Amino acid sequence: MSKRIEVKDLNVYYGKFKAVEDVSLTIEPRTVTAFIGPSGCGKSTFLRTLNRMHEVIPGARVEGEVMIDGKNLYDADVDPVLVRRQVGMVFQRPNPFPTMSIADNVLAGVKLNNNKMSKSDAEHLVEKSLKGANLWKEVKDRLNLPGSGLSGGQQQRLCIARAIAVSPEVILMDEPCSALDPISTLAIEDLIDELKAKYTIVIVTHNMQQASRVSDKTAFFNIAGTGEPGKLIEFDDTTTIFENPHVQATEDYISGRFG
Amino acid sequence: MRDVFQQELHEVQQRLVEIAELVAEAMRKGTTAFQTSDIALAEQVIEEDARIDELALTLDELSIQILARQQPVARDLRVVVSALRMSASLERMGDMAEHLAQLTRYRFPDKVIAKGLRSTFKEMGELDIKIAEKLIKMLKTQDMKFVDAIRDIDDQIDALHLSVFDKVLSEAWGGTSMDTVDATLASRYYERFSDHAISIARKVKYLSTGEWAPELSSEEA
Repeated sequence: MSKRIEVKDLNVYYGKFKAVEDVSLTIEPRTVTAFIGPSGCGKSTFLRTLNRMHEVIPGARVEGEVMIDGKNLYDADVDPVLVRRQVGMVFQRPNPFPTMSIADNVLAGVKLNNNKMSKSDAEHLVEKSLKGANLWKEVKDRLNLPGSGLSGGQQQRLCIARAIAVSPEVILMDEPCSALDPISTLAIEDLIDELKAKYTIVIVTHNMQQASRVSDKTAFFNIAGTGEPGKLIEFDDTTTIFENPHVQATEDYISGRFG
Repeated sequence: MRDVFQQELHEVQQRLVEIAELVAEAMRKGTTAFQTSDIALAEQVIEEDARIDELALTLDELSIQILARQQPVARDLRVVVSALRMSASLERMGDMAEHLAQLTRYRFPDKVIAKGLRSTFKEMGELDIKIAEKLIKMLKTQDMKFVDAIRDIDDQIDALHLSVFDKVLSEAWGGTSMDTVDATLASRYYERFSDHAISIARKVKYLSTGEWAPELSSEEA
């Protein structure tokens, strides 16, 4: 299952500081959407509002709506833990639990939600999730060894296996390849392309070629200056953004011309 | 690094203008040689076409290098991919002028074109020179008004090209088989020359609009 995300008039604050201003966009199910823009433009902040990760920072808050299949994530009766189960996240640096085995890493999120799981169900889920993350063949003979013994690219795929083990609707990725070598990057990009058949994927990336390779839609965020809020400048098909963007600021950014 | 890139993109556009200038010169000389049976001038056009071919080739190499090393996007990307296509069109335009020169050489010391068609071919030659001159201006300025001018000239050349067919197919045509073949070929060369100018005009329009195969408004051949 994957779901449509509709964001309406979203403002994001850290205390009094408005970090992101007035973002509205719709992310269709089973698509890959890339967020690009200079550092500090609010794209990661905005990404984190899509599963209420933003509010774990003290003083952080949100105005506006994030609707997933018509239900606002920020309604009073919504449990943030359930939101994060529906909307998984993969971070910039691979962060497997270092002392847990590979298998336990995959099951970590599931066990948090449901501790009573039969051994065979658990084994089945580990295999399915690792296969889904294209890691099964590489680790099937050492499932009981620590996750920290894997290469960076393998660790990142382990984190993706952990994210998909809880059967999310949406997967958010915050620069998932920026700490990886080109071969691991390619493996993750191939994986994103496969995951798109089942999930809605949103990826933040500083790598322009990556955005143009993996995404269907691209959103460009920018800031007017230090202390100003980040804004969504242009949101369109990826081919349009990279071949013929409509806003000059987008063109300047992707072509590497600043100021 | 980015300055080098901008410099290279600028150079791509400069080189297109340079090739277009040589093409215009080739058509000026080629059509003069063709109409006056000037064998020396014809030889010169044939010889100088190698220079156009070489410049088109090195421009393509530069464009490929930019694609590989700078991964241009947006307008920068359009500059490079359109240059690859435009260089091919310019190279073919040079060939058309060369073909006219070759016809001149085959028939020397006779004139290629039989009497009844000479004024038509004079007009076609003048129009092709005019279209080449507009082309240079268009490549220098990227101004859309030259796109329209080129389209209008091409329409006139197409009409003349058709009139050549009408003439050689009419009852009144007194030319030999060889006259017919020569007139048909030469007319085709003039007509193709302006068609390539149209292709280039489309790519200039693509540069500003991002539309790969734009209509040039009004009707086209």
